Amino acid sequence: MPSRVASAIAVAVAVGGSLLLGNVKLSILVGVGVTAIAALGLDVLVARTGQLSLAHAAFLGVGAFTAINVGSRGAPWPVAILAAVIVTSAAAILTGLPSLRIRGLQIAITTLAFQEFAEEFLFSRNDVTAADRTLSRPSFLHSDVRLYLFALAALALVLLVRYRLSVTKAGRSFLAVRDIEDRARCFGVEPGQSKLLAYAISGAIVGLAGSVLALKAGSISAKDPFLLLESLQLVAIVVVGGAGSAAGIVTAAVLVKGLPQFSSTIPLTHLRAVRIVPIASAALLVVAIVAAPQGIGGLYRAVGRFLDRRLGARGRARPEPRPRPTDAVAAAHGAATLRLVPRPLPLRMPVPALLEAREVRVAYGGVTALDGVSLEVRRGEIVGLIGANGAGKSTFFNAVSGLAPVKGSIRYRGVELVGRAASSRSALGAARTFQDLGLLRAETVAENVLLAQTWLARYPAAAGIVGLGSALRTERELRRRAGLALELFGLGHLASERLGDLPYGTMRIVEIASAVAAGPDLLMLDEATAGLGPDESHALGDRFLAVRDELGLTLVVVEHHVPLIARVCDYAYCLESGVLIAEGKPDDVTAQPQVVESFLGRADAATGRGLG
Amino acid sequence: MLARIITGLSAGAAYALVAVGVVLIYKCTRALSIAQGEIGAFGFFIALRWAARGIPGLGWHPARVVTLLIALVVGAALGAAIERLVMRPLVGRPPLDALIATLGVALFLALLEKELFGTATQFAPSPVGEWKLVVLGATLTAPRIVALAFAAGVALAAYVFFSRTRFGLAVRATTGDPTVARLMGIPVNRVYRFAWVAAGALAGLAAALLGPAFGGLTPFAMTKFSLRALAGAVIGGLDSIWGAIVGSLLVGVLEAVVGGQFTTAGASELAVLVLVIATLVARPRGLLGAEGAS
Repeated sequence: MPSRVASAIAVAVAVGGSLLLGNVKLSILVGVGVTAIAALGLDVLVARTGQLSLAHAAFLGVGAFTAINVGSRGAPWPVAILAAVIVTSAAAILTGLPSLRIRGLQIAITTLAFQEFAEEFLFSRNDVTAADRTLSRPSFLHSDVRLYLFALAALALVLLVRYRLSVTKAGRSFLAVRDIEDRARCFGVEPGQSKLLAYAISGAIVGLAGSVLALKAGSISAKDPFLLLESLQLVAIVVVGGAGSAAGIVTAAVLVKGLPQFSSTIPLTHLRAVRIVPIASAALLVVAIVAAPQGIGGLYRAVGRFLDRRLGARGRARPEPRPRPTDAVAAAHGAATLRLVPRPLPLRMPVPALLEAREVRVAYGGVTALDGVSLEVRRGEIVGLIGANGAGKSTFFNAVSGLAPVKGSIRYRGVELVGRAASSRSALGAARTFQDLGLLRAETVAENVLLAQTWLARYPAAAGIVGLGSALRTERELRRRAGLALELFGLGHLASERLGDLPYGTMRIVEIASAVAAGPDLLMLDEATAGLGPDESHALGDRFLAVRDELGLTLVVVEHHVPLIARVCDYAYCLESGVLIAEGKPDDVTAQPQVVESFLGRADAATGRGLG
Repeated sequence: MLARIITGLSAGAAYALVAVGVVLIYKCTRALSIAQGEIGAFGFFIALRWAARGIPGLGWHPARVVTLLIALVVGAALGAAIERLVMRPLVGRPPLDALIATLGVALFLALLEKELFGTATQFAPSPVGEWKLVVLGATLTAPRIVALAFAAGVALAAYVFFSRTRFGLAVRATTGDPTVARLMGIPVNRVYRFAWVAAGALAGLAAALLGPAFGGLTPFAMTKFSLRALAGAVIGGLDSIWGAIVGSLLVGVLEAVVGGQFTTAGASELAVLVLVIATLVARPRGLLGAEGAS
């Protein structure tokens, strides 16, 4: 790929060229590197979890002063760095603590409060700032070139951590928390814990930046680099660079931090860099967020695409964005593999029904969405749930998957679900789809199928980031399962496509494949045929039957398409205004007058329209 | 102790003016603005400059009491400009984008102040006179007393506005569901503009009272003051005007009491940090808010 070659050359030229600079400039570049690392740490929060910290300059100070305090008392330098990373991470966790309870952006205010507290309290204390102490550099870092190389190594380490995040469950959970916070719980994601972990990782990276700064400076008396202004400028660097783009952020750090120190005036103008650059970066921040949210990174990507188009030997043909026919033998083999998942609870026998709801009541404020609904689903059945819009069908799914406040009892495999965390239910074997897609449109199909298997990724997040063997093995296994699930639905050729680029009907099938990849016993499909044409609906009905038989699944389907219900369902329930009004064989249910009335208004007003 | 509480209440009242603006913007547009402090400060900086050097073109040196009015008007005008140029294009984008945009505005205004007025603390004479009042042992300067009066006035005005006027109802409808409100013929854009203009005016007012009360004005100082207002708004509940007032008063009192009790630098900042975190963990939607828990 020409763009890869070009970026490799650009990085090599930049690094090689910088090594030819004199000592003073290299020393400036170490400072720029510190800023870049801190910004990359902030970016983990901004780009991956959609949260913001206004205290990253304060965290930088916490890291630097910790390193000086520990290192100047005779601890070897790796210990000083480790201490800085741990203490800063703890400070970040403290400010992020409310994320266990809240979903909004109010945590930005706790970080602002921390920034203020650090400026006024921490950094004004001599025991914190170690005013009378000096951290002496280890002998191998005595020259400026070596310190610069050391800073580059730290930067490379951070890039590696960011990469490991993106290919393990932690990074996927962060994205899910950002875009589909509630629904992600159905995959086994714990939103609060994920956000806290993001704060911890972000803080750890900034702590590393702080310790590099400490090694550079030895002792720090002025608190200027750690003030609110700097925190806000770090946000500016992330946004102007382009959230999520490491290359863009490093470039922005060089421009904002390096330019004023490298030249007294802006090139080609007489403007004084020290005065203009900060204010220009603030203006650019506003312009970027309004008009160019991709920032410099977006520019780089555009150049890369241009190079690939112009110089690429042959462009990759876009695959047909629809499911392909599947190979029955391969599908059966894949299905057998997908069923092999560990279950945390033993199946209590004898259980008459796989799912048994008793007097389920769901109320939001004064509105009762479900009122005394009792129904059961037997193993291997396909059960239809019908009713007009607002009848409570999706609410019932929400009740089973833990996204609605339930009174009553819902037993699954004999285990009471009410009171269990939503994130634990996929492990029990209940998976679902959403009426309006509960996946990440900005990510690839394969990433989404991996996300849906979060509950199966039972390695510690840290093991994934470090790349321990157990985590690598698990991830390999999850990727294999994702491939099998996609093949099962004829979607294998679309694995690396961005989900949002696919037709809506195909997205819906990707969602079903994702749910199946999680290895459920019970699959709840919410209007799976919405947005599909008649032929596609018919084909999907065949898939329901095949999936039930191949995977030994039990299905509950919410459907408006009555012929499909009649064709595939063993049993049907009809809801109206939160109350069950009919149940029985699908044909019997859809023939009942009150069901017809519920669907079409009064039966005698329904002239000219038939069910379906 | 009682004297400290009274002093704290007067500071809290000034924070409340900013906090009510923050809540107004949040209620109407779902955006959390951290620019309010700097919007107000910029207005008051301009007012002070004009009082000292005369209004450009007119050569008229406004009286001190007029600086209050100028701060208010400039704050309102900035609010209108920010709403139209920065915030409206962000409608429909993730809430983080709006927050970052207000941060950019705050950073830009603070740096502009630094460029125009320098980093030294600007002497800020009180726009409302130099008289003092002793209340229950606490000596309150004029800006503090006026802040208390204004906060009470704003609370009353907010109550009347939201319960008794057509436009207030339109604002509440927009809060509920902007799309539906638009379909019902409610001028949603006017509601957005109203929120930013009103919040800008309140911020200007607050800056003109807080600056003199705290011994002058420097760039970024108001961002720090507005932290207390933001903390107050979050503690009270981001969607509740009353919550913003109660929360801000609470922050003001806490700050005064802790600052008086402990001489360690930063003790009151530590207290505010602990209060914000503890409130959000124990009661995510704030003291009087209706939403926010997960």
